[in-house]
Amino acid sequence: MVGAPRLSYAQLLETNNLLQTFTDETYWLCVTRTVQESKLFPVPPYMLLSYLNAFYRYPSLLRKVESVMTAEEIGDRAREGRPPGKSAMGWGMPGFYLLGREWLINMGLLRPQDAAEDVVYLMDFWKRLQLSWHRNDGHITNKEFGHRCQILPERRLQVFESDAYGCETGDPLHSAATQFMASAAQYGFLVSCESRISLLNTGPYKLADGNEMIVREFMDLGEGDFPWLDDVAADIPYNNLTVPMLVKDCHFYLVDDWGSFESEPEFRAESIVGVGLYTSDPLTEGHVPVGMESREALTETFRTLDGLFKEATARLWKRIAGWSRDQMLDAGALTYFGICKDLAHVAGVYAHEDWMLIDERAERFRPLLNDEFSRDCLGELVGLLTLPSHRLSSYSMMQHGNGPTRMYTPIPYAILDGEGYVPTCGPVYPGATTLPAKADRYRTSQGVLTLEEYNLRVRDFAPQSDRYRFLDETWLKYNHDTPRADKMYRHEQERARKIQDCGASLGAAELAALPRD
Amino acid sequence: MAKLYVDSDKYGDQAHSPTVEAFHSAIKDLVRRRLDESGVDWNSFVFDKSYDLITAADFEEIERKLLDAGHRYDFSAVISVNERPEAYKPAEGILGDDPDWTMEHPDAPSGDADAEGRALCGVGDNVMRVSENTVGTAHYVRSSSQVMRYLGDGVPPGTIAIIDDSGGTLTAPILERFAGIICMGGTVRSHLGILSREYGIPCFMNAKITGIREGERLEMETAAAAKTAEAYQKGEEMTANIWKLVQEAP
Repeated sequence: MVGAPRLSYAQLLETNNLLQTFTDETYWLCVTRTVQESKLFPVPPYMLLSYLNAFYRYPSLLRKVESVMTAEEIGDRAREGRPPGKSAMGWGMPGFYLLGREWLINMGLLRPQDAAEDVVYLMDFWKRLQLSWHRNDGHITNKEFGHRCQILPERRLQVFESDAYGCETGDPLHSAATQFMASAAQYGFLVSCESRISLLNTGPYKLADGNEMIVREFMDLGEGDFPWLDDVAADIPYNNLTVPMLVKDCHFYLVDDWGSFESEPEFRAESIVGVGLYTSDPLTEGHVPVGMESREALTETFRTLDGLFKEATARLWKRIAGWSRDQMLDAGALTYFGICKDLAHVAGVYAHEDWMLIDERAERFRPLLNDEFSRDCLGELVGLLTLPSHRLSSYSMMQHGNGPTRMYTPIPYAILDGEGYVPTCGPVYPGATTLPAKADRYRTSQGVLTLEEYNLRVRDFAPQSDRYRFLDETWLKYNHDTPRADKMYRHEQERARKIQDCGASLGAAELAALPRD
Repeated sequence: MAKLYVDSDKYGDQAHSPTVEAFHSAIKDLVRRRLDESGVDWNSFVFDKSYDLITAADFEEIERKLLDAGHRYDFSAVISVNERPEAYKPAEGILGDDPDWTMEHPDAPSGDADAEGRALCGVGDNVMRVSENTVGTAHYVRSSSQVMRYLGDGVPPGTIAIIDDSGGTLTAPILERFAGIICMGGTVRSHLGILSREYGIPCFMNAKITGIREGERLEMETAAAAKTAEAYQKGEEMTANIWKLVQEAP
């Protein structure tokens, strides 16, 4: 579109605010977390490829999702645990898109105003998704909340806390749980090609005895969206697992938008005093207990899963070690690009062709993606901020860095003053991959389904919690003694180990008085 | 020739990295040429004509010119240099088949043997304090072929793995079997640091070592304090020692 802007001043002001806020946090995350490197995977090359795929495809794919379900409806379901919220929500989706945009600007292939309507739409989608997902803590990001992430409602937290089995260093449950979390984390790094995308931590939540609870999520574990898990993950019985972890003598002072935590003193396995295990996906009513019938059953379940993850890790590693560089590039890029693919699953519109192919517009750039150029370009894009588009007037002082730089370029307001722009990069173009064809098998809580069946069941699924969508924590505070609140809590407590039918007036003191057995 | 929007940038000039600048400059030249040749304005070019007119073949040509000029790339993933040895600098010591090869860090401390027969040969950031120092045998683990050998033959008992990759995937199927890990990169927050803590395996990250040959006996000062987030934020050195056991106690 040239000369007849459809975007309003208010839209641009808000979008540029979100971009700037995002700039500040992305820079902080990139320089304070850690460098991601691998001798196995060409990580910077696949990251750059994923950014371009995100730029060209996300706007169309998100519009497709919203043709069925709004971003805020998806955020509501994610808050209830279907599926586990991913770091997609906090950072990845807009982060990857904006990095692709910034790189294209620096190659002269894009002006800051081009695809302006895509940028406005994507940031607005992200804002609505984040606000609904984070509704209980009232923030858009963990960063805005001082690096804290309190997603879950009281009724779910009460079940997690009361369900948890107590444990201590050296006992069978403690050993089995810590072994399981180590092997699940390692498997997760391998599944997601050296990224943290299949791992997420949320919380902390304060417990009555002064302890804290962190909720650990392990995602994309079974045969599902990633073609490289066909066969090797056939034995993995759950696609997502959740471990509420009760911790003593340890304050989690930081949970960032990449899902990592830091604590004082440093978290160690010895600090774990209680654990539980659950699964969830777009077809479950909240979190479904796994092996929670007894302490012994939970211990055995952790041990079994630990063994399964170790075997799957060895099988997957051998498969990956036999890949070509292009296959590694595709798998890594699609893992990154697919950070928000679960949005399509929740809406029941997931298509392999949408999320597991490299768009031909991004594919063009592959010859540039040698290790050195990719390393240097990535470093300049996310850490050094030394590409021309990053530079500002010498008066400027960037948050965290103080230099005259900025990571993401805003949309120029001049488009409201006659400066032409092209609204969108266009629809999804054909794509391709060097990876083997994906088997039509998707591990769900209702068994292994074809994708068509999976999508159908999701679209037919109407979780009971949708009925309570607007019964928020403030309403609950003043209405806990009403039949409606009681019904909502009893529904949540149906699978609870100790607080079945306790209802909505159950308090922290009563919960703390329960024996931790 | 066509002028690009980014050609009149008041504050920005060029990329910091010569390689990035070489590629980006060549791409901008390409875009100017193709825009001229297309005969259309930018609005018709950016999301339409350019998709057909800026191609993979163009980018291959840009890359070829850099290689023809004699440039060879640094590698990060071993597969990159294995598949295109002509495009990358050689990868020395990567296969672990030279018993005399040593990894050398210019800032690694070294010293003569002390009264206990220990010669200082490096330092690292301790991921997790344990009650005692860790003693074992040095084995370099730097490639998937080496990992495959260990998968087949087993990891030798007491292996202290020396790894120059702070990721968690290269050594994924054998990591749990290491007695200790010395990693040449990353921080205690890197994936390898996270996993070693989860498994309870003594580990130094960001290590600086010198003169350690395959099969030599080592002691890691794992009873030293773990490096804290505060130390990283303040840029403070907080390292633990690595010694070669010149004369091991019986």
